[in-house]
Order: sequence, then C-alpha cells, then structure tokens
Amino acid sequence: MIEIKNLTKRFPDRRGGTVHALSEVDLTIADNEFVTVLGPSGCGKTTLLRAIAGLTGWDEGGILVDGEPVRAPGPERAMVFQNFALLPWATALDNVAFGLELRGEPRGRRHATARELIGLVGLDGFEDRLPGELSGGMQQRVGLARALAVQPRVLLMDEPFGALDEQTRRILQEELLTIWERRRLTVVFITHSIEEAVLLGDRVVLMSPRPGRIAETVPVDIPRPRSFDLHGLGRTEEFTTLTTHLWERLRTMHPDRVGAHR
Amino acid sequence: MTPRRGPLTLLPPLSGLLAGGVLWEGVSRTADAAFLPPLTEVLTRLAELTADGKILPSLLSSVINLVLGLAISLTLGLTLGTLMGRYRPAEAALGIYMYALLTAPSLVFAPVFFSLFGPGRTSIVAVVVMYSLFVIVITTASAVRDVPAQLLEMGRVYGAGERQLLFRVVLPAALPMAMAGIRLGVGRAVAGMINGEMFIAVVGLGQILTEAGGSFDSTTVLAVLLVVVTVALIAIGITHWADRRLNGWLPETSRT
Repeated sequence: MIEIKNLTKRFPDRRGGTVHALSEVDLTIADNEFVTVLGPSGCGKTTLLRAIAGLTGWDEGGILVDGEPVRAPGPERAMVFQNFALLPWATALDNVAFGLELRGEPRGRRHATARELIGLVGLDGFEDRLPGELSGGMQQRVGLARALAVQPRVLLMDEPFGALDEQTRRILQEELLTIWERRRLTVVFITHSIEEAVLLGDRVVLMSPRPGRIAETVPVDIPRPRSFDLHGLGRTEEFTTLTTHLWERLRTMHPDRVGAHR
Repeated sequence: MTPRRGPLTLLPPLSGLLAGGVLWEGVSRTADAAFLPPLTEVLTRLAELTADGKILPSLLSSVINLVLGLAISLTLGLTLGTLMGRYRPAEAALGIYMYALLTAPSLVFAPVFFSLFGPGRTSIVAVVVMYSLFVIVITTASAVRDVPAQLLEMGRVYGAGERQLLFRVVLPAALPMAMAGIRLGVGRAVAGMINGEMFIAVVGLGQILTEAGGSFDSTTVLAVLLVVVTVALIAIGITHWADRRLNGWLPETSRT
C-alpha cells in the first residue's frame, strides 16, 4: 500500500517567487491497484512519481510504502522510464538483468531470470541485441522486463508509452494489461493520454497545474480484462462518459486555453 | 554491421600518400631548395641511418619514453577527469589549474623538470605527461558531466550505490567521448616526446634531430621526422583500435 499524505514540494522560480510543484497531495493506493495519474504538463505528475521512487525530496508531508517511509529508492519499487533509459552498450539480456546485477546476483541466475522475462514481454530471440538495434516499442519491452526482473511490489511508470507511435502504444498497453492480470502488483502510471488513463486504470487521478494538486479521483468501473480490440471498449458508453468528463475537466486547466474565458 | 573491407578501401589512403610523395619530389627538384631535399634522398638517408644502427636503438628509447608518459597521463587523466566531471568541489578546486595548464605552452616547463629530475628519462616522461595529460582530463570531465541524467536516475532506482553508479553507468557511458580526448592526448604525447628529447636530455630520436639540425643536415632531419610521424600514426592507430574494441556498441554513424 502506498500512502501519500499532504505532500508539498516547492522550488524557487527565476523571478524570486515560489512555484508549488506539488501542493497538499493526499492519495492512498491499495495493494495490486492500477492507478493512472493524468494531467497537463506542469501539473507535477512526474514529480509525484519521482517522489514515490525516492529520486526527489519534498518540503512537507510524507510517503509510506507498506508502512515504511520513503527516503531513497528501494528494492520494492521499480520504475519504467519515458525514454527507456537502457544502457546502450549492454545487450537486451544484460539490460533486463541490470537490477539483479546491482544486487549481486550471480551471472547464471540473473540471466535465467532475465531470459524468462524477455519471454514474458515477447522478445524471445532478441536477447543479444543492443538497444540501438531495437525499435522503440521493443526497447520499452526491455525496460518493462528490467523492472519486473527485480520482483517489485510497486511498479512506477513515467509516461512509458509517450515516446511511441499510436499503434505500438496500443499493443504495449494491451500487453501491459495482460502481464498485470497474470502477476498482480501495484502500478502507478503517469500519462497525458485520457484514453490510456481510462483503459488501464482502476482509478484515474486527475491533477491540475500551478499549484500541482489532485483535482479529482475518478473510479473506472469497466470490467477486466480490458482490451481495445476484443470488446470494442472505445465505443462503450462507460468509456465515452469517462473520457468526455475527463476532457471537460482538462480543457479548463490547459495552459494553451488563453483568453477562452473572455 | 561492419563495412566490407576489400582491396578498394586501401585505394584512397594509398593514392593520397603517393600524390604527396610525388608533390614533395616534384617541388624539391624544380625549386632546388637547399633545405628541402627530395623524398628519394630522404628515404635513402633513412635506410643508411637504419643500416648504421642509429635509428632502432634511439627509436626504442623514444618509444619507452612515450609509453611511460602516456601510461601516467591516462591513469591520472581519467581519474582526475572523472573526479572533476562528477564532483563539483573537485571541479572547483582543480578546474582552473587544468585549463591554465592546457593552454600554457607545455615546453616552458622543460627547465623546471630539468632542474627537478636532471637530464634523464624522468624529465622527458614528465614533458610527455605535460603535453598529453590536460586534454585528457578536460575531455573526460565533460564526458562524465554529459552522461544522460536519466541513466543516473535509472541506476539509482535499481539500487546502485555511488561506486556501482560510477563503474556500471558513468564510466561506460562517458568512454566514447573520453576516447576522443585520449586520441588528442596521444598525438600531443608524441610531440612532447620529441620536444623533450630535443630540449632536455639529448637522447633518442631527439638526439639525432638536434645533431642533424645543428649541422644543417635537413635530409637527416626529415628522415627522422618520417620515423616520428610513423610512431605517431601507429600510436593513434592503436588508440582507434582500442576505441573500436571498447565502444563497439556505438553505431558507425555517430563516430567522430
């Protein structure tokens, strides 16, 4: 369980003022829950994720993961990065095994685990390729396998499919869901795509910018397993209602909506 | 992945060399310049000097100076560069010296080394280090600084301590760019070697150069120069080879 209480993070801006990256964020995420965090750029959603990861500090409030306060990165949390963050000199297999290597697992054992996960993400036969020889979608599969290899209880995903083209993104969304159905774990998934947030999440946490705060939490009561293709989810009434509602909220807070209220 | 190496790949460099040789020979024969002997004469002199047993022992002595100097420069340069690139206080403390010494003409330190170490090998090695160290330090420092922040965060998320971060992430990521500095350093080390041998301890190839220069024997000077250039090219060739071995993962198009 992740408990975020009154989380506030400020930093000085260039004109001597203060920017609230996060303001009094309260959020509790249950075990094995899939929470998507949606918001326009600058709403602090990535800052929130980095705080949970232990990569950045904050000024007030706190975060507990399974009752333990977060102070630094920990073995129960793994992260998938927007730009993949793979080691360009290491093969797909070594990249997947990297977290285990850092933990000092012997080569044979970590490679066995890595091979299994390479299979899980559908990259059989690509073990010895370098990231530069893989497509963006395949690179992110490696990123996902690397995260799952360390057997985290919490998976933090920072717009993981944001750098991919539409078709690749849909395929990876479905595969992520399939994997998550099989090995349940808590997922915090940052996105700026409304459809992605609704398709994947048990709840959509909508954040608004300046100061970054939670505007609304929307439960998604669409039955699982979900998939765009099989159930025509995109055309169901629940899906349309939710995405329309979220879009109504988002457009009012969008920074490009200059003068629209005049 | 690797381009096919047929006999044709050797054609451009060989024809370049041939054209240069013809140009040298032609200019020297038509201009009749006293200090520009024709290439054929220089090559003949080189063969004579080699046969007299003058070149090889001097060459060996020079190469030892070069190798020792480069070994010190590489060790110190990569260490200092990594410290400066990764730790702000190290940069603040050392940066000014490194940039000052990079721009200072390295030979002005020759008398200092002479008075400290005497006219022996140590002084020449010190000059080689002086020539090659700072470009390696500064390129390594900026290579380390330029390691993508996301790779560092990734390392931290997966539990890397500072030591693991340094050896598993920072250094491999910085190596391709650091290698560019090392290549420059190797070229400068050869220049340092020959200058040290000419101005401090008159030994090695520098000794032959100094004596020949003193008696206006430009044929010998150029003959020795050919040897020095060959040493430099071989040293740089070895660096390229090492670069390819270490950084083979880089796509061919992003090579410098």
